[in-house]
Amino acid sequence: MKKWHRAAMFVIAVAVLAGFAFIQKQGKKAERFQGQFFDCFDTVTTVTGYAKDKEAFSEKLKMLEEKLLYYHKLYDIYHTYDGINNLKTINDAAGKSPVKVDSEIMELLKLGREMYEKTDGKLQIAYGSVLSLWHEYREQGNEKPKEACLPPQKELEERAAHTDMAQMILDEKASTVYLADPEMSLDVGSIGKGYAVQRLAEYAEEIGMEHVLLSVGGNVSAVGPKADGIPWRVGVENPDTESARQYVCTLDIAGLTVVTSGDYQRYYEVDGKRYCHIIDPDTNMPPEYFSSVSVTARDSGMADALSTALFSTEYEKGAALVESLEGVEAMWIGKDGEIRCSSGFKINEEE
Amino acid sequence: MVKSVVPAGLKSMKKSDVWLIGVLAALALASFGGLSLYSKLGTKEPEAVVYLEGKEQGRYALSEDTKVKISLENGNYNILKIQQGKADMVEASCPDKVCVNHRPVSMQGESLVCLPNQVVVEIENGEEGEVDASVN
Repeated sequence: MKKWHRAAMFVIAVAVLAGFAFIQKQGKKAERFQGQFFDCFDTVTTVTGYAKDKEAFSEKLKMLEEKLLYYHKLYDIYHTYDGINNLKTINDAAGKSPVKVDSEIMELLKLGREMYEKTDGKLQIAYGSVLSLWHEYREQGNEKPKEACLPPQKELEERAAHTDMAQMILDEKASTVYLADPEMSLDVGSIGKGYAVQRLAEYAEEIGMEHVLLSVGGNVSAVGPKADGIPWRVGVENPDTESARQYVCTLDIAGLTVVTSGDYQRYYEVDGKRYCHIIDPDTNMPPEYFSSVSVTARDSGMADALSTALFSTEYEKGAALVESLEGVEAMWIGKDGEIRCSSGFKINEEE
Repeated sequence: MVKSVVPAGLKSMKKSDVWLIGVLAALALASFGGLSLYSKLGTKEPEAVVYLEGKEQGRYALSEDTKVKISLENGNYNILKIQQGKADMVEASCPDKVCVNHRPVSMQGESLVCLPNQVVVEIENGEEGEVDASVN
């Protein structure tokens, strides 16, 4: 009898210990990790996902970085890379010759043209000549704030004469792009990153990541929900960076993308007035309708394009556009902090 | 009365059995105590960790107000200020000032990034934030 007893107790003890070990191991199976890299699209990329250990996650992170770097190089307008025809190659060949391009450039430019039409010209990828002038003045203004000034109106107009989308000639059969106006240039800052993030999200799924949150400079895309099935929570930054309230609201997303365009991160000041990096193609000036516009959609490229376009579009017209598009919602934050949302924009209630 | 609720099997328990139970219970208690003590030791103070070109340059407790100049070899710099439990980039030589325009940070995993100068300030051991990411 007592032998039986001791044996039973031993078995129980072993079972309990094994149970603990099992729970620990289970816990490890879905451990959450976060990693960053800094070499793509002049911004910070943060990847949040799950892996069995740190090494496994780092391996995936490396793969994602390589993928995004590929897009970064393709859409770069400042640098050339060995063996790659990128946007700089196309810009440099403007007025000279068509350039043979990767299909991912062709696809991006096609999306750019489609969004140009959808947004009534507010999303303008052939606007490089004007954007580069603003870029120059903004950098100088930030370097020497006392001497900060605006680009001369006359020069803006001269540059704007070379932004005709019809002069961007895409030959899909030959896979070539030709800019017929030698003075024109492409700048896909408003769409390239979003398009690349969309592709990156698809790639993440391909390499077996079912629950990932990608944030590329605040361009956020969710592959699935979190590992526990709960949606990812994304904060929409308060444009008033002096305010103690960091987020205007939070959104819960799974398999969706959120992109915000705002005037409070990249800007410079002239005589105490703020001039942001987004330029309205109709006025050649930074728009003054909103502090930020956020867009949620299935496709990150489209969301990126729309958030930029809506930032330059008066509310009524923009709202009508959003309502006409399926699966697209938006939130506008006015200069005075007023918040307006499209009919299906779901924010979390105040807690 | 008491005897009647004790299962018959236990009556035959020997002293050594009682000891075994005692030792097991003590072990369990000790391991739980040890675990919780360990995790308590593991909770360190929130701090701002400064990285320059990916290499750690210094750690500054958020509880102590201070101002740090991060100097690069090429003459560029960033000035980090720690005040009231938050880290804030107050000055930088970079052309875009995105790091300076960023609001102060204090939550776990939040960061201040100056890409032109390759300076990253990251919060460690901070309180868990309410969101998984943010758009700005």
